Amino acid sequence: MKRIAYLLLALVALTGALVYMAHASGRSDEEADPIFGIKIPPGYRDWKLISVAHEEGNLNDLRALLGNDTAIKAYRDGKLPFPDGTIIARLAWSYVPSEENNKAFGRAQSFVAGPVTNVQFMVKDSKKYAATGGWGFAQFKDGKPDATAAPKTCFPCHEPAKARDFVFTQYAP
Amino acid sequence: MRRFTFFLTAVATMAGLVILIAPDPGRADGQPAPFVTEIPHGYRDWRWISSAHEAGKLNSLGAVLGNDIAFNAWRDGKLPFPDGSIIAALHYSNVPSDENNKVFGQAQSFVPGPPTNVQFMVKDSIKYAATGGWGFGHFADGKPGDAAFMKSCFPCHEKTKGSDLVFTRYAP
Repeated sequence: MKRIAYLLLALVALTGALVYMAHASGRSDEEADPIFGIKIPPGYRDWKLISVAHEEGNLNDLRALLGNDTAIKAYRDGKLPFPDGTIIARLAWSYVPSEENNKAFGRAQSFVAGPVTNVQFMVKDSKKYAATGGWGFAQFKDGKPDATAAPKTCFPCHEPAKARDFVFTQYAP
Repeated sequence: MRRFTFFLTAVATMAGLVILIAPDPGRADGQPAPFVTEIPHGYRDWRWISSAHEAGKLNSLGAVLGNDIAFNAWRDGKLPFPDGSIIAALHYSNVPSDENNKVFGQAQSFVPGPPTNVQFMVKDSIKYAATGGWGFGHFADGKPGDAAFMKSCFPCHEKTKGSDLVFTRYAP
């Protein structure tokens, strides 16, 4: 009897977990990026803020860096390297002037997030991604993995930041 | 030690009495509009709404965060924001990142420098009725802005009446 109760409990828990996962990811047919096999992590838009940034030039974007709980904790504790399970999300939008804000300020000074450009992820798994510093890299545009060569260029560019475990962004207090 | 404890108790009691006796500034007629005088607890853990860069004199890089009530209202596109909404605007000086620029091979990357201030909007349609239901707060180095400065918040935010006095839009 006790055994059946355990089994039932386990089943309920499992069903719950599955329902939650299906709900959290929204769609189950999401594509993984072809190089590192990374899918868009469910719920990343709810993660806490690490920092923001603005890139000029060709990129001309406004960004936000969000981290899952493992990432945020490592940042706040100032602990390097980031532990396995860390995921950092980099969201970017085109950098556009805000006419509404400028009207209120009485001058052109305000730049805000325009249309989404892409979203990138760094996923820490020191075994799976041993060849690239323990990090898997992925870029998604309109929910689809970037099939161009872009992901191959990630690691060489992040390598100069080796002293901070290949992560450029620092925590904004 | 005992005397000190007694003293502390006395101070606490006095403070409690003063709070009880003091009229609610929000409801007193002819009183200046009340502002947010305490930094909301745990705001740095709130979810992120959007980023912005103010050029010119401000030259700041900002992040706007919202507590759950504010965040959900934004995401659901519901206006006005319900009571209990709190919006935090974290401002940093906009500084070039030498490290990033070296990697990119050109000067293009701007990141948050030292924090300049944190501002809050707290929705309480009764307490802050005189300022569109929003209480405004401004803290630099943890210290609130003076009354003269705080008076400038509402007139400027009033220009965005169509979005309940809030400039920032949710970035998907």
